Amino acid sequence: MSRLRRFLHTPEAVAGAILLAVLFAMALSASLLFPGDPQAIAGPALLPPFQDWSLPLGTDRLGRDVLAELFHGARTSLAVGLAAAAAALVIGAVVGTLAGFAGGLVDEVLMRIADAFQTVPGFLLALAFVSVVGPSLGVVVAAIALGTWTGPARIARAEVLSIRERDYVAGARVIGMHPLEIAFREVLPNALPPVLAMSSVIVAAAILTEAALSFLGLGDPNRVTWGGMIAEGRTVLRTAPFLSIVPGIALVLTVLGVYLAGEGIVETTAVRRGLS
Amino acid sequence: MSLLAVSNLTKNYRRTGKPVAAVDDVSFTIEPGETLALAGPSGSGKSTIARLVLRLIEPDAGRIEFEGSDFLALRGVALRARRARLQMVFQDPLAAFNPRATVARVLDDPLRVHGIAPRTERPRRIAALLERVGLAVDLAPRAIHEISGGQRQRVAIARAIATKPSLIVLDEAVSALDVSVRGQILDLLLDLQRRERIAFLFISHDLGVVRAVAHRVILLDAGRIAESGDARTVIDLPQSAVGKALVAAAPRLNRYRP
Ligand SMILES: Nc1ncnc2c1ncn2[C@@H]1O[C@H](COP(=O)(O)OP(=O)(O)O)[C@@H](O)[C@H]1O
Ligand SMILES: [Mg+2]
Repeated sequence: MSRLRRFLHTPEAVAGAILLAVLFAMALSASLLFPGDPQAIAGPALLPPFQDWSLPLGTDRLGRDVLAELFHGARTSLAVGLAAAAAALVIGAVVGTLAGFAGGLVDEVLMRIADAFQTVPGFLLALAFVSVVGPSLGVVVAAIALGTWTGPARIARAEVLSIRERDYVAGARVIGMHPLEIAFREVLPNALPPVLAMSSVIVAAAILTEAALSFLGLGDPNRVTWGGMIAEGRTVLRTAPFLSIVPGIALVLTVLGVYLAGEGIVETTAVRRGLS
Repeated sequence: MSLLAVSNLTKNYRRTGKPVAAVDDVSFTIEPGETLALAGPSGSGKSTIARLVLRLIEPDAGRIEFEGSDFLALRGVALRARRARLQMVFQDPLAAFNPRATVARVLDDPLRVHGIAPRTERPRRIAALLERVGLAVDLAPRAIHEISGGQRQRVAIARAIATKPSLIVLDEAVSALDVSVRGQILDLLLDLQRRERIAFLFISHDLGVVRAVAHRVILLDAGRIAESGDARTVIDLPQSAVGKALVAAAPRLNRYRP
């Protein structure tokens, strides 16, 4: 309870939480408020914002409702961002735990693989992966996770290296527990806090990567994405700049919200740990 | 035949390049139901011997025979199965348990791992174990960090006896406890030994405690055996320099009479 109170007393955290709440509300209400295909033509092309109240943010080059696209785009951004970050955290935690706990050759091999992944910039890796496999929501998620898991893996490994020397790990061996059970049931849960502390940065980065991929035309073509909207608007940037500005602002606010709320959570739990 | 026969056990650690013998050519035996104490100054190799005997670390040389078979030859499943018979109690009972664990989970683990009781029967077994070590049954759902140090060490003993071992290694198991709690835990250990013929490898730097609970004692110095024999004889009239120094440092030797 006091953790929640401390969170609510941090203005940045509250601002982040509100931004995220709005984003989630948009994502969840998208098909309720804007049923049907958001990519269908809804009115005249290039209608500016605040002209027609049935199309409050106007229309794009093909006459599609910008507000509907914005709501449906929130869905894609959130879904891809959260799924990719979750995949990266899970892969990273598992690989880092195995490497740190097993040591020796297993550690060597896993960490060389992580090195290999880290030498290629995450975005290039995602770009190459999607270009080869083809754009779909699942592939985009996998592509982003592929470039992100090494960070969590290294942090998990470092934590596991210190935890595996503790008496309770020796105690688990003494009672005859299987090494894999020791690794994943005794060690991994205690190695998680510093890994989870990275999640806000990872989610924010995943959302930006998804937008960048979509901007380059490598997003799922059947879904509205903010990156895709920005790219669309770019062709008419001089005459209708709002088409790029609106999804751009949405993107910035989302990343800011994720980051502030995430930092707020880390901050309040860290304070709590420091006190106890 | 001895329950445990350790011969020529050696373990070297590298310190700043050159190897240092933490345990140097140590041999001893433990009979069923016997308490053998390992005493010696800090850094004399007591914990290293405990870890070697439990196969938590591997020796550089030597043999360990446990219950008539070569304990060092066991691997994988066979080793894990045999561990049921050879248990340990650590010095710091807080560090010895997963910080997220509850009392029930700590006691459930050995029962589950060794298939000692089916899931539905385990709560009853856990209750019996708690009772056996003098704890209230309603402690089971509590988190390990919520109970007192003395209670925690009783839980550690309950966990150690859950698989019906023939030997328990106790590495400074009472050293971190208050004097009054220490006496109660020692009483509990002696009672377990009397009724179930469990042997103890009892590690302590406190000769008063050793004299009260051990049948035989080995005094270690820098990884080697300096002196060994009947616990009272050795402690009442030590022959080695280490023995004399340890006795001189012990405050009052007949504090415990369990
Ligand atoms: N993991 C290790 N690495 C290096 N040296 C160690 C390690 N464990 C123990 N030692 C050394 O071995 C010697 C014996 O240590 P230990 O068995 O813990 O002694 P005791 O339990 O009698 O205090 C000490 O000199 C200690 O520094
Ligand atoms: Mg020690």
